[in-house]
Amino acid sequence: MEEDVKKVKKPGIVSPFKRVFLKGEKGRDKKAQEKTTERRALHTFSLSLPDHRIDPDILLNDYIEKEVKYLGQLTSVPGYLNPSSRTEVLQLIDNARKSHQLAGQLTSEQDAVVSLSAYNVKLVWRDGEDIILRVPIHDIAAVSYIRDDSLHLVVLKTAQEAGVSPCPSTCPDLSKSMTLGSLSESGAVLVEVCCLLVLAVDNKAAAEELCLLLSQVFQIVYTESTIDFLDRAIFDGATTPTRHLSLYSDDSSSKVDVKEAFEAEASTFSFQGSLEAGDNSPSPSSTPASPQTKTASEGELSTTATELLQDYMTTLRTKLSSHEIQQFATLLHEYRNGASIHEFCINLRQLYGDSRKFLLLGLRPFIPEKDSQHFENFLETIGVKDGRGIITDSFGRYRRTASSASDSTTNGNGAVRGDGDVGGSDERLAPSEGDEWDRMISDISNDIEALGVSMDQEGVTP
Amino acid sequence: MTMEEMRIETETNSMVSMTLYAVMYPVFNEVMCAERENPGLTQDIIMKILEKKNVQINYTESLLRMAADDVEEFLVDRPEQEFQDLNDKARALKNILSKIPDEINDRVRFLQTIKDIASAIKELLDTVNNVFKKYQYQNRRALEHQKKEFVKYSKSFSDTLKTYFKDGKAINVFISANRLIHQTNLILQTFKTVI
Repeated sequence: MEEDVKKVKKPGIVSPFKRVFLKGEKGRDKKAQEKTTERRALHTFSLSLPDHRIDPDILLNDYIEKEVKYLGQLTSVPGYLNPSSRTEVLQLIDNARKSHQLAGQLTSEQDAVVSLSAYNVKLVWRDGEDIILRVPIHDIAAVSYIRDDSLHLVVLKTAQEAGVSPCPSTCPDLSKSMTLGSLSESGAVLVEVCCLLVLAVDNKAAAEELCLLLSQVFQIVYTESTIDFLDRAIFDGATTPTRHLSLYSDDSSSKVDVKEAFEAEASTFSFQGSLEAGDNSPSPSSTPASPQTKTASEGELSTTATELLQDYMTTLRTKLSSHEIQQFATLLHEYRNGASIHEFCINLRQLYGDSRKFLLLGLRPFIPEKDSQHFENFLETIGVKDGRGIITDSFGRYRRTASSASDSTTNGNGAVRGDGDVGGSDERLAPSEGDEWDRMISDISNDIEALGVSMDQEGVTP
Repeated sequence: MTMEEMRIETETNSMVSMTLYAVMYPVFNEVMCAERENPGLTQDIIMKILEKKNVQINYTESLLRMAADDVEEFLVDRPEQEFQDLNDKARALKNILSKIPDEINDRVRFLQTIKDIASAIKELLDTVNNVFKKYQYQNRRALEHQKKEFVKYSKSFSDTLKTYFKDGKAINVFISANRLIHQTNLILQTFKTVI
């Protein structure tokens, strides 16, 4: 029996049939095998079942890779798309596949690797490792798993950079999406748009694993964001001046040094600093050294306003490169000398980029009252309200109140602080107060520029 | 004489309630005096009673759940709107903090609770600042010191939450929340004393 099983190949004439067809098959098998052996092993970890729990440190300080098939990305999808609606999502995907926007047949050509961390979702081709795209976590609105017969799709609904797209006024679900509500010249209403990143995985287990991993990433990010919100609320309440603030505060006993109570210490999450910087490789955060700031006439400007300015400078030093700090100083200088708030916002947004747009929040206390509405609207359009680029409903409470330095510099005469000449405002500062504030901002701008120069000299990189 | 009038007369003339004010009130007063002299005495008494009765409860959690109730001693009895706001904001913060045990096991709801706590802390501090702005007091230092203490314990609460999200020990969150409630009460008490 065993002898029968083992058939010894005897030399001799080989069937031409076998020679032609088997050679081809062998060739293909060999190529596929070579490809498989060439592909590197994925950077992965064992996950605790049943909920695929992963150590948060891995998502914070490392990453995890999973194999997927990348079908493509749909853009300018109406933002009101319900990611929980199988019908809606599949309709979009089917139409996209028909029009060849998404891959039809799934082959090894769509093989890709998704790399997950607490910072972003990165997609690269399985072979060659060329990057396909990278989505910051705060740009992901929803993740859906749809089983379509044998196809297991994982769909990520993400923000789209452009933000808006014209939609015909006959669009039936308009009421869901009129966040901007402005009319274009053609009369069409502008609606929010988003992207759909469409991936396919081998089976239901793989899809659930990917969804649960993303869920854990969201938990980490939103937990961090919530704690930040709490810290900022405490800070805001603690540093609100305890008396009516004016540029000429002549009662020194009113200066409550609440900064002693609230230590500006680094978060115990080492994740925070690097998340803010948008780095892929997080570095331990450290409390930045206070820059040597010369603040002239601090006795004439309230302690709180001075501290707020210094805090913002400290933050900039940790988040921007030296060149960027100089650019910031230039933009601030231009704004003070007559540039519009709109221009100031756009240029700053460009400077900070997507990963650092939250820095705009720190400017709030320094925007004059007359420009504050525009500034707040701008923050909303770019998706920054009170959080690391994450908009949530409860943040709506935090309107501009008497908690900002610009509000608080309203003096007894009701004159509004600010650069009275900016934007042709009708309101004029009392000359001495305006001069004092301008001098303060000049000093800060000069210090910021000096920071940039000194950082160049030290060769410090953020 | 109506039924109601008869009931009132019976209650007024009844001796049964005499025990409350003749026996218990003096006991409460003595306990309060003793607590002032020996802080923590009341807690020890309660813990011993629970131990004796073999009642298996988490004392810290129960304290937190009960801590939202208004206490006469800690209400500012001034009619001005600012002081009423102070009472309201303090009550609101204590209410939200007392709900932590119910929310802590559901991450999504707990995060929302934390946001609500953040807003409540900010609103309370804003109200305190409003009172400071409007009224000039002789004993301002005591008020400012109390505000600083409140901010310190708020920060400590935030740090405790960060640790909780790493180690999952809810009891520390309850302890920190209780401390924050206590600080809230002390703010009210300080305002009540100083004004």
